[in-house]
Amino acid sequence: MALRIVVCAKEVLDPDAVNNYALEGKLVIGNDGKSLTQSSIPRLMNAYDEQAIEAALRIREAGVACTITVVSVGDPGDILKHAASLGIDEPVAIQADTAALDHHGIAKLLAAFVQSRGGADLVLCGRQGSDGDQGVVSALVGEHLGLPIVTIARAIDVTVAGDTFGVRVVRVTPDGDETVAVAAPAVVTVSNELGQARYPTMAGRMAARKKKITSVTPTDLGVAADALRPKVTLTKQFVPTVKGACEMIAGATADEAAANLIARLRAESVLR
Amino acid sequence: MSRVVVCTWGTTGGAEELLTLGHGVATALGTELTWLVVGATAEDLGGIAGRHGVATVDRIVDAKLTTFGGDVAVEALAQYARQFEFRLWLVPQTFDARLTAPRLAARIDAGVVMNGLALGADGGEIAVTASAFGGDTRVVYLLAGAERYIVGMSTSALAVEPAPTATTPPVRDVALDLNGTEERIQVVARTETSGPRIEEATILVAGGRGLGDKANYRLVEELAEALGGMAAASRPIVDEGWAEPARQVGLTGKITRPQLYVAAGISGASQHMVGCAAAKTLVAINRDPEAAIFRYAKYGIVGDCLEILPALTRAVKG
Repeated sequence: MALRIVVCAKEVLDPDAVNNYALEGKLVIGNDGKSLTQSSIPRLMNAYDEQAIEAALRIREAGVACTITVVSVGDPGDILKHAASLGIDEPVAIQADTAALDHHGIAKLLAAFVQSRGGADLVLCGRQGSDGDQGVVSALVGEHLGLPIVTIARAIDVTVAGDTFGVRVVRVTPDGDETVAVAAPAVVTVSNELGQARYPTMAGRMAARKKKITSVTPTDLGVAADALRPKVTLTKQFVPTVKGACEMIAGATADEAAANLIARLRAESVLR
Repeated sequence: MSRVVVCTWGTTGGAEELLTLGHGVATALGTELTWLVVGATAEDLGGIAGRHGVATVDRIVDAKLTTFGGDVAVEALAQYARQFEFRLWLVPQTFDARLTAPRLAARIDAGVVMNGLALGADGGEIAVTASAFGGDTRVVYLLAGAERYIVGMSTSALAVEPAPTATTPPVRDVALDLNGTEERIQVVARTETSGPRIEEATILVAGGRGLGDKANYRLVEELAEALGGMAAASRPIVDEGWAEPARQVGLTGKITRPQLYVAAGISGASQHMVGCAAAKTLVAINRDPEAAIFRYAKYGIVGDCLEILPALTRAVKG
């Protein structure tokens, strides 16, 4: 029996481009007071989700027979094509207006999709979206499916014993790495510590052209509009102001500047 | 009555900061504040709670509760939430709470928001300001549409202030039935970190890409030692293997709040600043006078950190 992996992915605004604009003080908030509307900011797959796909591909390469489905809620942009070019089995788009959904609604749709497929052995998610940084969808999906949730994986190892799958995860914690064991089915969130996600090969790109994206609606999944009513509404977005009152310490040489700084810190009782 | 609940694991993770916030919000909402303490603690809960105007302290102590993050903890909190009503449930955003909070929310069909930096109640409406895009932007979430909410608050920027009127709250033990709950995830191995932790250091010297090479990280360590502090690092150089992960400061590392933070060769990306913005005095050393780090710093030296770091070490020793 093949290991059924479902990877949840989303499209985000390139966080590096957002960071660059923010650092230059040029990040523009749209007329609605909450959207980042600069068209020069590229849209791409959430990098943590790319690493979740990478984790799935590595499990397959380790010799575990598996099917890899990548699912995204809302307009997937190019991310499902990108996923297809990496060699996953089925890209799935759940039709929905993400602007009208909160993370609770997204999680309900993702969980309903997994259920519609008769479950999954491993649900992989990025540790968080690099846009909202909330990091809650994976936990909500896990709870809706009644599955254990292992967060912040740096490595995932699957062992097959007959019809059952054992999952070993090395997770990154503030106190160092921790290795945990859990029986599938389970949800695992993947972090950047997994390492660089691969790029598609030319052959992968060619094959992806022929791959059809499966499209499903909330109705197909048995999710009523009422169940998707948001609990949390984003009403505003702004760029925080930074005080910017740095006093530059000068000196003719590095030693002089250093001595001036240390003297200053001592005068201010920051240092003894 | 729709209480405000502040839920902490023992008294850790910024409990008093959150009690201060919780009391203000409860007052604005015209309701009472309950402090839910999970896990055993030797601290004087009634005394701490009284200073912060807490109406009731609820305590959950169970031999099966070993962490704030596991299946047993989530089940315990869900049982408590079904037994006692509330409107707003605040948790300090610890590593464990990042998972516990949304899991609890899903169990009891509450709304959830994490990364909260500020929270206000105005005209009965609750709004949370949270960090987004790695700290580059702030977003405001309106909590309307559900009866109950769980909010994870980053406590490093919150103040601790006693309530205007102290209370003498009862401390009651809440009995739950956790017999049917077992941890589904087993810890097989753990890297034991010993010795001092950068979160607790009063002086930190952090190095970034500006060091140019792994070998130069020793300049950071030498200054840290001369200052009686600890060496820290930005995420890129931890990713490169120049420094240990336990030394990483920032969104995906440690949140520190030292008296003195020296950032050497660090550009000042938002995700790094999340981990050191609470420093009392921030000193930046960077070759680029336009580097973002200088906008956060109190004192700056424009120069090559490979020259400035050893010069600082000499100046401290001299």
